[in-house]
Amino acid sequence: MRPFKQLLRYALGSPLLKKKFGGLATDIAGFKDFSVKIPLTTLEELVAEKMSSGDPYASRLCENGAALVTLQLEYDTETRLYIALSRQDLKRYAEALRRCWSLLGLGKGDGVAIFDYGTSPVSYLASSAFTPYLSQGAADALGCLPICNDGVANMSQRAVEILKFMRPQALFIRSDCLEPFSIESERQLGRLSGYTRALVVTENEGCLPKAEQDAYEKRLGLPVYRLLRIDAGMFLAMECPECRLFHSWKDLYYVESVTRAGDDVDEGGQNYLAITNWFARVCPAVRYLSQVKGSVYSAGCRRGPADIRIAA
Amino acid sequence: MRKEVEQGRPDGKDTWPEERLRGFQFRKIKRVLGHAYQELPFYRRRFDAAHLHPDSVKSFHDLARVPTFTKKEVLDEMKKKGTFRTGMETFNSADQAVLCMTSGTLGTSFLYLPKRWRSLRGDSLARAYWWGGLRAGMHMLMAAPAWHSLAVQESRVIERLGATCVIPWGTFLPRFAENFLTTLVDTRPDFVSMFLPMLYALLAECRRRRMEARLAFDSVQYLLIVGAPMTPRSREQLKEELGVRDIFEGLGNPEGLTAMECSFHRGHHIFADCCYVEIVDPKTGALLPAGKRGNVVITSLIPYGTLYLRYDSEDLGEILPHACECGRTWPLMEVYDRRTNTVEVAGKEIVPYDVRLCLDDFPELIGVPFAVVRGEKSAPYLKLLIQRPATGDPYGLGARLRALLRQRLQIDAREEWTEELPERWKGVAVIEEKDWGTPRV
Ligand SMILES: [Zn+2]
Ligand SMILES: [Zn+2]
Repeated sequence: MRPFKQLLRYALGSPLLKKKFGGLATDIAGFKDFSVKIPLTTLEELVAEKMSSGDPYASRLCENGAALVTLQLEYDTETRLYIALSRQDLKRYAEALRRCWSLLGLGKGDGVAIFDYGTSPVSYLASSAFTPYLSQGAADALGCLPICNDGVANMSQRAVEILKFMRPQALFIRSDCLEPFSIESERQLGRLSGYTRALVVTENEGCLPKAEQDAYEKRLGLPVYRLLRIDAGMFLAMECPECRLFHSWKDLYYVESVTRAGDDVDEGGQNYLAITNWFARVCPAVRYLSQVKGSVYSAGCRRGPADIRIAA
Repeated sequence: MRKEVEQGRPDGKDTWPEERLRGFQFRKIKRVLGHAYQELPFYRRRFDAAHLHPDSVKSFHDLARVPTFTKKEVLDEMKKKGTFRTGMETFNSADQAVLCMTSGTLGTSFLYLPKRWRSLRGDSLARAYWWGGLRAGMHMLMAAPAWHSLAVQESRVIERLGATCVIPWGTFLPRFAENFLTTLVDTRPDFVSMFLPMLYALLAECRRRRMEARLAFDSVQYLLIVGAPMTPRSREQLKEELGVRDIFEGLGNPEGLTAMECSFHRGHHIFADCCYVEIVDPKTGALLPAGKRGNVVITSLIPYGTLYLRYDSEDLGEILPHACECGRTWPLMEVYDRRTNTVEVAGKEIVPYDVRLCLDDFPELIGVPFAVVRGEKSAPYLKLLIQRPATGDPYGLGARLRALLRQRLQIDAREEWTEELPERWKGVAVIEEKDWGTPRV
C-alpha cells in the first residue's frame, strides 16, 4: 500500500514516531493491517514526551521538515504543546477549511465572520493575510470576505457590530462565546436570522452536545452547525447541512473510531476518533487518539458522495 | 549564502534628499486625491462641499484645504448606511481581501484591506522590522489578533524578510501572559513584537513564577514595542531588565500611520513611502510647524482598499524639529497621547507623558504607576497621584519632583502618594476628579 509506505517513510523522520514504531515492519498491507501494526499516539504521551525531553514539539518535529510557522496549541494540559507547519502543510490544512466552508455552501462574494482567536485554525487558515507563508486561505480560494473578531467572550458586543455592519453569510463561533453572544444578539439584534444565515460552533477536541445545539437553533431561529477541530492532528471536519454528520476527506485524513486501548469497533459504536493526517510533514500525526467520542459512517451523502462521514 | 542574509534589505528611499522625497510624496498625494475624487463617494461629497477639485491642489500647502474628518464621522456614516461600506473604500468582490477593525471608546470601524494594500503597507513595514534587527532565518514571536490590521501587515513582513514565526495561543490581553511567557521560554525566539501593556503583563508573570526576566528573554535579541509611548529611561531600564540588545518603539494606526525609531532613538521616522503626516491646531485646523504640538492628521498614500485622507486621528503629537543622526531624511515625529487625555494646568496643555518623563528622572520612580487628576476646568496646579515606591522617602522625593516639574513644564504641582492605584486605573493615566472622590475598583 503506497500511501502508508510514504506516510511512514517521512513519519520516521520524527524522533517520537521513530521511537514508537521505527522497529516495526513498514510493509502495511491495508487499513486493517495499519491499525494493528501502528500504535496510537495520545495527548498524554505528547505531554509526557515534552516534559521529559524539553522539546516544544514533543519530539514530533521531522528533521527534514521546512518548519516556518509554529503555533502553540489550545490544550489545557500540564505543559503547552506546539505544532509547526511548512508552506505545504499550511496549504493542505487550509484546503480542509475550504472544504468545510464549501460544504456549508459558502462561495464567491460571501462574508464570513469568525468569533475565535486569531490562533485558532478556523481563523488563521481563513486568509493568506492572517498567516505568514499561507499562500491561499479558505476565503481566498472561495472568493469570500473574512473578518476575525478575536475569541474573548466579552467581545460579543463587537461580534454583534460585525453582524450589523457586514451581514455575513455565516458566523463561526467558539463554543465558549456562544452563550454570551446569544444574550448580546438577543438584546441588540432581535432575530439573528436577519443578520446571518447560520452559526457554526467550534471547539478543539470537543463538540457541542446535540441537545444544546437543538436548543440554540430554536432559541436563535437559525441553523446552528458544528465544526470539529482536532488541532494536534491538524484535523477539521464540518457538520453537513444535509445529512447532519461530519464530513471529512480521504485524501487529507484517515479517520478511525477506536477504544482507548486501540481496538477497532463496529460502525455505529461510540468510541474515540483517531486521526491519521496524510499531509502534515513537519509534525506528522499518525493515529493520534483524540478525546472526541465518535464513530465513522459509510460514505454516500449527496453533498459529498466520497467524503468520510463521522457521527460525534 | 550572502544573498540569504540580505533578504528583505530595504531600498534607499529613506536617505533620499529632502527635495526628491517631497516630490515623490506629492506625486503619491496627487494620485490618492484623484482616486478619492473619482472612485470614493465619501470624499467626492466632501470635496464638492468644500468647492475643491483635486486638480487645484498644487502644493503641500493646498492639501490643507481638503477637509479633515474624525472617527466619529466614519461611525456616523456607517450607522446612516447600515454597512461597513462607507464609500471610503474601493470595493471589488473579486479581490482577495479581509476586513479588519479599529476599536475604541467611540465604537468599531472597519477597514477593507485587499491583497494589494497588504503588499504595499506590509512591504513598507518590513523596513521597520529590518531597522529593529529582524533578519532572514530569525525566529519571531508574534501575537495573532487577526482583527487588527497590524497582523495583516506583520504576516507579510515575516514572509518578506524570510523569518520564521511562533504564535502563542490566545490574544494580546494580559490574561494570556502565561501562554506568551511559556512560548518565549519553550521556543526561544530571536525577535519579539508586542504591545507594551502585554510586555508589562509578561514581566508580572515572570515575578509570579519567580523567574528572572533575563532568563525568560534569554534568546531574544530585539524587541519591537507598539501601543503606548515609552520614555527613554524606561526603555533603558527594560533593556537592562530583559538583557536584550535593543528595544524599538513603533507608532502606527490602521488608518495609515507607520513611524518607527531607528537605533538612535531620537523620535519616530515617518514612513514617507506610505503615509503623509500633518500636525494641525485642534481649534483652528491650521497647519502647525515642526516643534509645535497639535492633532496628528494622516493621509495614507495607498490607493487600495479603505483610504484615509486627511484623517484627524485625535492623537496629540508633533513633528520634531531636529534631524536624526542616522542620516535618514524621513522626518521624525512623536505621539504623546490621545487628545482627550490632555489636562489644562495654568493655561498649559499637559499630557501624562510629560509627567512620566519627569518621574523617570528619579530612579525610584521609573515605571511606578501614576495618574493625573483632572478637574472640570483648568486648574492652577497639577494634581498627581503616585503609587508609593518600594524604597525611599516619598516626601523628599515629592519636593524634588515638584521642583523638576516647575523647571521643565513651568507649572506647580501637588502630589499624593497612594499604596496602590486602583485596578481600574492602572494604565489609565488620567483620572477625573469627580471619580477620585469616590474611588471604585
Ligand atoms: Zn452530508
Ligand atoms: Zn534615525
